[in-house]
Amino acid sequence: MGTQEKTKLVAVVDDDELMRSALQGMLKSVGLPSQAFASAEEFLNSGQQRQTACLIADIRMPGMSGLELQAQLNAEHCRIPTIFITAHGDTKMRMQALRAGAVEFLAKPFDDEALLGSVRAALEN
Amino acid sequence: MKVLSKLQRYGLAVISCGVALALAGPIDAPSSCFLLAVTVSGLFGGLGPNLLSVALSALAFAYFFLGRPSPPARESTSLLRFAAFLAAILLVTVLMEIKRRAEESRSRSEEALRQAHAELAHANRVTTMGELTASLAHEVNQPIAAAVTDANTCLRWLTRDHPDVEEAREAAMRMAKDATRAAEIISKVRQIFKKGAPLRELVDVNEIIREMIVLLRKELSSQSIAVRTELAADLPKLKGDRVQLQQVLMNLMVNSIDAMKNVEGKRELTIKSQRAQDEEEDEQLTVLVSDTGMGLPPQEADHIFNAFFTTKTDGTGMGLRISRSIVESHGGRLWATDNHPRGASFHLTIPTKIETHE
Repeated sequence: MGTQEKTKLVAVVDDDELMRSALQGMLKSVGLPSQAFASAEEFLNSGQQRQTACLIADIRMPGMSGLELQAQLNAEHCRIPTIFITAHGDTKMRMQALRAGAVEFLAKPFDDEALLGSVRAALEN
Repeated sequence: MKVLSKLQRYGLAVISCGVALALAGPIDAPSSCFLLAVTVSGLFGGLGPNLLSVALSALAFAYFFLGRPSPPARESTSLLRFAAFLAAILLVTVLMEIKRRAEESRSRSEEALRQAHAELAHANRVTTMGELTASLAHEVNQPIAAAVTDANTCLRWLTRDHPDVEEAREAAMRMAKDATRAAEIISKVRQIFKKGAPLRELVDVNEIIREMIVLLRKELSSQSIAVRTELAADLPKLKGDRVQLQQVLMNLMVNSIDAMKNVEGKRELTIKSQRAQDEEEDEQLTVLVSDTGMGLPPQEADHIFNAFFTTKTDGTGMGLRISRSIVESHGGRLWATDNHPRGASFHLTIPTKIETHE
């Protein structure tokens, strides 16, 4: 959970506590440091955007949605490779996310090997 | 006004004119008496009897009273008296008709309003069910996704070259938490159906039956299904959730309609309501919804109330399951029997004095 390797930090933004713990646990098991945020606002206010090498975000959250977070980061010229995970993955939303620069769009429950593959790819770039 | 038959209404006009004629002489007030007769006929008889009483009164007035106050009666005075009388009774007729039309249009708009209400309630229920299902799916999906991830994480810690049991244990504990959360959500939903979000108002089941028939009129007529109702006039009201009970009756009727879709011959939907008593002589009501459709699935009659059991290509298998839950939450019972020679009957009993059922 630390930030010892600044450039390799993975940020997790999800309003569901169980999901956050599960994602952090998964990242820990493959040796990746991560930090979790309960909302898009919390992430934006944390000042961690610049240290984040990969972002895993839920789409539907109270307050700012995952897509709005992505738009906000783009507006701040803070291009973080983003992986969306969502329970309601419709094609339109998926296209919108990918067009705005998302690297992956996964429906819950997702295949964690696919998710880890995308995270690793994002970190290598 | 609907209580009197046509014959009775015309009879009323004749009788009131007769009474007026009998009284008019002795009390020497023909105009007032006949005016009263016309008013009574118009008020209780409608336009036809009203006009009949106008004609009878005019004839009687002209024949019996116009020439009488002789000798000083002059032709012109008589005519004026008659004209004034005629004007009065016609005015009463017109006023009555205006009043009647106003009432009719009001009752028509009330009927339209009632129907709009029923349709709105239906639409609301459909939306609520849809929203409930979507949010339920989302809520349950969340912990399941977390559990899948935690299970894989647990395996990853265990299958490493140097298994980390402590980390695996933590992942397993998270998994248990995820599963518990999923179970909690399910049990919350079940409670909603069980307790029916304690909405208890006085409900007239006959009224619900009539509303549902109105709502399903289009389906019934397009399938050429005749509806027969025998609704007990003395049916007691019950304390319950109106919308839920609408849902039950709607569901039973839609099932009946669907069961008759591919059946040749007579298509009849019968709905009966009755006042009854249970074994402990507590008051209850019973409703019977019976059709001439394909009947219950043989050997599987008991299964129709199971969740996800359906004989329809597009059925969810939830309708009867939910209906039975609702009826049971009202302290009642819902069961099915086969009809002879064909079709099925659904029986529903609900106590009318309800103790909250847990």
